[in-house]
Amino acid sequence: MDLLHLGSYTLSSRLILGTGKFSSASVMLEAVKASGAELVTVALRRFNREQPGDDLFTPLTSIPGITLMPNTSGASTAAEAVHAARIARELSGSPFIKVEIHPNPQHLMPDPIETYEASKILAKEGFLVMPYIPADPVLAKRLEEAGCVSVMPLGSAIGSGQGLATAEMLRIIIRESNIPVIVDAGLRSPSEAALAMEMGCDAVLVNSAVAVAGNPPDMAEAFAEAVAAGRKAFRAGIMEKSGLAAATSPLTSFLGSEA
Amino acid sequence: MNQLPEWLSAGRDETRFRAMLLPDSPYTLEQLAAESKALTLRRFGRTMSLYAPLYLSNHCSSGCAYCGFASDRKTPRRRLEQEEIRKELDAMKRLAISDVLLLTGERTRAADFDYLRDSVATAAAKMQRVSVEAFPMSVAEYRELADAGCTGITIYQETYNPLSYGELHRWGPKKNYRERLETPARALEGGMKSVGLGVLLGLADPQEEALLLYRHLLHLGRTYWRAGLSVSFPRIRPQTGSYQPPFPVSDHLLARMIFAFRIALPDVELVLSTRESPAFRDGMAGLGITRMSIASRTTVGGYSDPESVERGQFDVFDDRSAELFCDALREKNIEPVFKNWEHTYNGPSSPEMAT
Repeated sequence: MDLLHLGSYTLSSRLILGTGKFSSASVMLEAVKASGAELVTVALRRFNREQPGDDLFTPLTSIPGITLMPNTSGASTAAEAVHAARIARELSGSPFIKVEIHPNPQHLMPDPIETYEASKILAKEGFLVMPYIPADPVLAKRLEEAGCVSVMPLGSAIGSGQGLATAEMLRIIIRESNIPVIVDAGLRSPSEAALAMEMGCDAVLVNSAVAVAGNPPDMAEAFAEAVAAGRKAFRAGIMEKSGLAAATSPLTSFLGSEA
Repeated sequence: MNQLPEWLSAGRDETRFRAMLLPDSPYTLEQLAAESKALTLRRFGRTMSLYAPLYLSNHCSSGCAYCGFASDRKTPRRRLEQEEIRKELDAMKRLAISDVLLLTGERTRAADFDYLRDSVATAAAKMQRVSVEAFPMSVAEYRELADAGCTGITIYQETYNPLSYGELHRWGPKKNYRERLETPARALEGGMKSVGLGVLLGLADPQEEALLLYRHLLHLGRTYWRAGLSVSFPRIRPQTGSYQPPFPVSDHLLARMIFAFRIALPDVELVLSTRESPAFRDGMAGLGITRMSIASRTTVGGYSDPESVERGQFDVFDDRSAELFCDALREKNIEPVFKNWEHTYNGPSSPEMAT
């Protein structure tokens, strides 16, 4: 069995779903079910214990077989994220936390310094920490050393649909990492998710591309199939691209013929 | 007399923004709407953040010609005491509201900084997110407000035209154009996480106003990289007093402005209040606007006493209940979101400022 290991958890699905941006909680639930995702992230700021109709967390607990991973989206400093993580663990009972710290609410780029600080603290407190980070190979290794169970570098900006704009950096992170590498943010279509998996990513996280699709449950299923196909191709060994065309006049004729 | 700082008097790279707003624009309204809709959907999804205003006090020291609370109006004056504020907040919470905008007039003895700070603390104890639309303050005061739980301020320049500004603000502290212009910067300096800007549409040439507002936003974004930015599009509504706007803005032009801001600034929050009609609000939802007020009362004490016939700062146009309004959003496949914040994220904006 080709399983994804995150801390003490093992998952057979390599698609992780985000839950914001859907037109209603019921569409979101249908999409989660259709995706077959076993790990689903939900922002602490969308937990609403006072207004059940406005709450994203409780409805998700009705789906059997999924683990919820709260995220700290909205936090702009390490201190806020650490505080939010503790509240989220209290409310959800989940050991997972997706550390998401963006000091600029417009472009939502993750703050590497604050993310590192918060992740270090939370890993020590026993959380299964999954930090959302810029595609920076050095930061990824520092977070591995800090005890994170995975790193989640961005493919491109959140909600941009620009795909794997950071492909070169992702390749380095994948090559060097001892923990799962999960591409998070920027994927627009299933083919891009398949490409990420073929590159050797361990999983992908998708939100906008499913939430704003014409038919979110169908799109969720399409992503699941693409992720599975990409993973299978990676494991099967993808053939090399053909090399350069042969030079018209030989480059090594000066060496004479081999004795 | 040129009162405009350099960053406001000349822009860079604004050819397209100008072109989108020209009376004979090469872009049709339909083209702009399609682009604006696509950008909004991608970045914000099928959701609408909701908030509601809470008028703390209608005492005012300024003489703004267009305002129902100007100090020469005969409007009865009152302020809510902390216990009354709690009552109003409870009434708002029964409508599911968790994001509140606190409003006062210009600084007066009845509603001064200490009163505002105490009111912020009262609101922060009950609501997830508290922001303020009041009078300009000092950096130190903004810092205190942030510590009390305020995440952002709204401050409209009203008009960027210095001459119109001088004529309309007949007396009081608001007379000083530069002081008001520099207020959002002071707020961000003091640790506010977000600032909301806008012009009161109708006071001066709308194309010119939009351009200067755009420059102001770009300037703030460059100077304060952490700043959350939002833009509101208030049009002058009937109010106590008989002010007639010299540059009325049509629905078509307002829509065009909203699309232009969305296209030029794809990530900023665009806000539309209950000043606008139900048809306009429903129509613009999903096309660019990402944040709307709901079930608003513009009188002091209006939530716990909804039957009051007192006239507010302006007359609400979209007076639908929270429930009816949310139904209309759902009809359009948009989820109304009441809680989109966590009070643990309150506090000054940068880690160096955190105590």
